[in-house]
Amino acid sequence: MAKTFFIKTNFDLCTGCSLCQLACSQRLLGGYNPHRALLRITHKTENLYHFPTVCNQCENAYCANVCPVKAISRDPETRALVVDHEKCVGCNLCHKYCPIEMAGVDPDLKKSVKCDLCGGDPACVKVCPTGALELAWRMVPDREEEAPNG
Amino acid sequence: MADSYMGKFLLVDLTNEASRPVPTPQWLKDQFVGGKGFGAKLLYDLVPKGVDALSPENALMFFPGPLTATAAPSMRACAVTKSPLTGTYLDSFFGGRLGPEIKYAGYDGIIIFGKAPKPVYLWINDDQVEIRPAGDIWGTSALEANALIKDEIKEPEAMLATIGQAGENQVLFALICCEYNRQAGRGGAGAVMGSKNLKAVAIKGSRLVKVHDPEAFDKACQGACEEISLSTECAVYTDGGTSSAVPWSNEIGTLPYKNYYTQSDPQADKIGDEGQKKHLFLGKAACFGCPIRCSQMGAVRTGKYSNFITDIVEYESAALLGSNLDIHDPRAVAHLTKLCDEYGLDSMSAGGVIGFAFEAAEKGVIEAPEGITLAFGNVQGAEYLIRSMAFQEEDLGRLLSQGVKRASAVLGKQTMDYAMHVKGLECPAWGPRGTPGMGLAYMTADRGGCHQRGFMIGYDVGDEYNGVPVEMYQTKGRAGILIELQNYLAGTDALVKCDFSQCGVSPESFAAMLSAATGRQVDEDYFDLLGERIWNQTRLFNVREGFLAKDDTLPKRFVKQVLPDGPHKGHCVSEADMDYMRRDYYKTRGWDEEGRPEKKTLQKLDLDKAPVFMERP
Repeated sequence: MAKTFFIKTNFDLCTGCSLCQLACSQRLLGGYNPHRALLRITHKTENLYHFPTVCNQCENAYCANVCPVKAISRDPETRALVVDHEKCVGCNLCHKYCPIEMAGVDPDLKKSVKCDLCGGDPACVKVCPTGALELAWRMVPDREEEAPNG
Repeated sequence: MADSYMGKFLLVDLTNEASRPVPTPQWLKDQFVGGKGFGAKLLYDLVPKGVDALSPENALMFFPGPLTATAAPSMRACAVTKSPLTGTYLDSFFGGRLGPEIKYAGYDGIIIFGKAPKPVYLWINDDQVEIRPAGDIWGTSALEANALIKDEIKEPEAMLATIGQAGENQVLFALICCEYNRQAGRGGAGAVMGSKNLKAVAIKGSRLVKVHDPEAFDKACQGACEEISLSTECAVYTDGGTSSAVPWSNEIGTLPYKNYYTQSDPQADKIGDEGQKKHLFLGKAACFGCPIRCSQMGAVRTGKYSNFITDIVEYESAALLGSNLDIHDPRAVAHLTKLCDEYGLDSMSAGGVIGFAFEAAEKGVIEAPEGITLAFGNVQGAEYLIRSMAFQEEDLGRLLSQGVKRASAVLGKQTMDYAMHVKGLECPAWGPRGTPGMGLAYMTADRGGCHQRGFMIGYDVGDEYNGVPVEMYQTKGRAGILIELQNYLAGTDALVKCDFSQCGVSPESFAAMLSAATGRQVDEDYFDLLGERIWNQTRLFNVREGFLAKDDTLPKRFVKQVLPDGPHKGHCVSEADMDYMRRDYYKTRGWDEEGRPEKKTLQKLDLDKAPVFMERP
């Protein structure tokens, strides 16, 4: 068995503060903007509910499946799906087919960006003041595969 | 050099349906920093003496600060204009998510002039600025307008400032509702927006806000967050927002009851944190970038006023629409507050006005329309007045919608005895008889009766100041303490800080965050001098408008009527108290006997040779 790490969201604890998005955009782009972060918060019902959405690090990952240059592959340590910017051609198919819009081309980098779990110690989880985001893992059977889109 | 400014303002001329960027001058950043500082200087430069606040010549401006939109915890923004309610300088601060978006769109502020020929809203998407017809959105509530505009521009993540019907109808204490349901509440900025035929400003931005030294900035932010997490005061706000101030204020004898007739209310606990936890709260919501999450979201699930979503009924609304009106069902108080939020009325002024009207009706000065009871404890009467003011439906509503100062001038001299305002701004919910320092704070606040420019209550009831016990009921020394508070708060309002997080975040941390963000090294004393400069700049505006010593005063009830009961029974802030404190204050400030900043004071603050931002467009 192997461990796939992912970020579990607890919407009941999310206050919508966006500290996670600030930390994420700063790490990714060297500046702050929640719209450019790799996770989203949806505020609903007059601000009564806040739903964080993060990359699921799918076992059947459409972003990787559709990538024409096989730029998205698993990190050997965390099994997070990581974009290789050397390979990425910026076609944005990953964005088109991700059902929760968690991958896509950044307007400045011109390359696809998605959550890579910060290598195993996600900045968003670290700054969340309420425990609405936590690092979790699921056990998956060992397989021969590896290139998820291969 | 990278800094956390965006380098330009957006200037919008609604009359000519035009907009253009204007560079943010370096001297302005150096001397006034942002937020309240920018507001103080630009209002003075852009709005000449005597301009009617509801005319196209008035400017309506929105300013974030150099720490807004970064990871610095709990930063806000402000709306600045000339107040139609008081005629003074007005700034009104708001949390939520609107302020940061101004910077993400690439601006250090938005400056709006003129008047659109027909109702419009502004849609700012980075450099693309559209003035769009408001159409059927005109006439909707502040919250309905938010949803309708997001639908129309197909941008669920756009951030909005809207006005409700009260702003459209230029009720003099109409507010601006800022994303989401946060208010630039006081002083009638919403009426200014309505007078410009501007229903809303929608903003979305894709720019990155960068800091000068990311590593040092990150460390400074972590320090500030740590201070917040260790602060017992911040923990109180996390637990129940300001609702727990209701029983505290009652205990120390400052809670207004029945239009401030007295300052203690036997049923206060029902509308404080205890009552609200039981009847309203469900979960927490935070403003952008804030770990405190003081907002307690909930719903009224039961009773006559169910079902609706409600935010926490924060202290001022709970006190002024609750105990001040002798209303003690928290669901009813939440209902009245929500009506104010939707129609876009400042709930504080609304509570003051309704209290005034109830007292006037009980004294037989005004007559209730048929089927309506105007009396303390009557929720239906309060609801009637809120609607009639917002929609300008009846003579009484139209009169009261101008605030208690103007209403009492029309209704006659006796009503002035209980018209509770300073310079026209209805008083906050901290009755000052027994706490003379708070009285002085109201007398001297730049926007009229305001508790947020220097909160003296704690010291007035016996807290130590700089390690020295402060004696109750004394007027001596109050001016010195207040001036230090006013300066520091005005200085940090340039960042733009939140009043609650600053209970935890130290001056050293604010200085460290600002230094790392801008690259200009400042120390913890920096905000005192900056604040003094800003405070004198707002005073220059008010003096130019004719405000002098005679206006730095308290409502008659606080001066002439001693408290009939409660912890401060027998106390008031007498004429002699006011005279002493005012003189002491002016002298310590370096102002003349009329309250005009002296030349040497302006020289010390570099205000004598400050450049003019720009000629009025």
